[in-house]
Amino acid sequence: MAQVVVVTSGKGGVGKTTSSAAFATGLAQAGKKTVVIDFDVGLRNLDLIMGVERRVVFDIVNVISGEAKLNQALIRDKRVDTLSILPASQTRDKDALTKEGVATIIEELSKDFDFILCDSPAGIEKGAMLALYFADQAVVVTNPEVSSVRDSDRILGVLQSKSKRAEEKKDPVKEHLLVTRYDPARVERGEMLKLEDVQDILRIPLLGVIPESESVLKASNTGNPVILDGESQAGQAYKDAVARFLGEDRPMRFIEAEKRGFFSRLFGGRAA
Amino acid sequence: MSSPASEARLEPFRLRGANFNLLVLRLLDPRVEVIVPALADQFRRAPGFLRNAPIVLGLDDLDPVAAPDFNDLTAQLRAVQIAPIGTTGGGPELRAAAQAAGLPPLRAAGGETPQPIAQPAPVPIPEPLPPSGWQPTLVVDQAVRAGQRIWAQGGDLVVRGTVNPGAEVIADGNVHVYGTLRGRAIAGGADNLNARIFALNFEPELVSIAGYYAVRDGLGDAPLGRPVQVCLIGESMRFDRLG
Ligand SMILES: Nc1ncnc2c1ncn2[C@@H]1O[C@H](COP(=O)(O)OP(=O)(O)O)[C@@H](O)[C@H]1O
Ligand SMILES: [Mg+2]
Repeated sequence: MAQVVVVTSGKGGVGKTTSSAAFATGLAQAGKKTVVIDFDVGLRNLDLIMGVERRVVFDIVNVISGEAKLNQALIRDKRVDTLSILPASQTRDKDALTKEGVATIIEELSKDFDFILCDSPAGIEKGAMLALYFADQAVVVTNPEVSSVRDSDRILGVLQSKSKRAEEKKDPVKEHLLVTRYDPARVERGEMLKLEDVQDILRIPLLGVIPESESVLKASNTGNPVILDGESQAGQAYKDAVARFLGEDRPMRFIEAEKRGFFSRLFGGRAA
Repeated sequence: MSSPASEARLEPFRLRGANFNLLVLRLLDPRVEVIVPALADQFRRAPGFLRNAPIVLGLDDLDPVAAPDFNDLTAQLRAVQIAPIGTTGGGPELRAAAQAAGLPPLRAAGGETPQPIAQPAPVPIPEPLPPSGWQPTLVVDQAVRAGQRIWAQGGDLVVRGTVNPGAEVIADGNVHVYGTLRGRAIAGGADNLNARIFALNFEPELVSIAGYYAVRDGLGDAPLGRPVQVCLIGESMRFDRLG
């Protein structure tokens, strides 16, 4: 049976899609058959981050409404052959997604894949509810700021009461905290919440800390998930997080502010 | 600092304590454009009073067929930092109009018609019991998260985890939090002036006992970040360090 993993946050713009793309790619690189589904109907952009936007013919709404077969809509990644993408629709609205339709898709994908990643839209409306409903595990993406932590807290409450596992009184959804856009220098200046403060409120196991990094924007503009950029700190941090997700023990990196040496001060170097 | 929930004689509304641990704003006039300026006026004279407090709209004095525009009223009240959370009294039509604007009918303790309180993000709690008699303590084992509200009707509430910012724990009896209290804690719902709030780590957004309350900015020299007991001495709230 495949594991269904939702990448969620409540708040928008915190790095869900970036993390979904990185995780899907990382899991596939580890040899796991992985499919990543974009649930952000109307605002799709996972296909852009994954660099497959020019290969989209059919999308999840077409599949649910019977206009296309599931394997017609799946796009095989060209870099990692165990990875597929199921794009969202650009033109439909969220009402086109139905619980039954999503259930059928997930059931069918379960036969062929090890991991089904669900990239959730922001908010707690229908699209977000459907993205998390079938989850076995949740990666809760949180930025080190008060409003993002509050929204993540809210989503955790929803996972614990409104998911299929909760409704059927099964074992709860396994929760993982992924802190993204972490800027140790700004944390040190008191402009952002400390990692401990975030953990103190949310109280779920920490899967990883992804530093704020310019390489993320560069990666998304070229359609290459940042995890493929082994030079960048964000890419390395995502690699660590995926390894931990698969059970490996790795120390947290990039959570202390860098002591800037003479040369980097002189040339104003920045973290890659 | 605490504020007695009583006497405001200025038309066209009346403020009055109720058997919730909440204030009731009795509407005497259905016109939003009359109510809101009058309120704003009153509030200018009592700065800080009621700021961000939850409030229940009392519908008994309204004409049953002339419902106010509840959507507009809610928005305008929020703009002056009053947070309406539901209604009490009034006929079915008024209640329905309010409900449609997101204001569910609430049941005053000791009131006539029991109506369940809306649960925004339900945490499993036992069936609400009728208000007669004392009920067993409700024990919650997990954290209470933003957007969740837990109500121990007719008894005490024990929370073993934290109560996070944006969460609300309510008991007609005492509230015990064996974690950090960062959200709202409301004790002594049914006019129980002897109710207390206990928290192992005291960092609340709001505490209230029998309708008297203090918001974060009104906690004065309460020992924040410590184990604390909150009780009422006469009309003022007292914060004592525990242990
Ligand atoms: N670690 C990071 N460092 C810098 N920018 C980031 C990082 N993670 C995400 N971003 C940027 O934040 C924005 C929102 O990211 P996205 O993944 O689309 O968020 P969401 O899916 O939660 O709305 C994008 O512009 C993205 O490039
Ligand atoms: Mg997104």
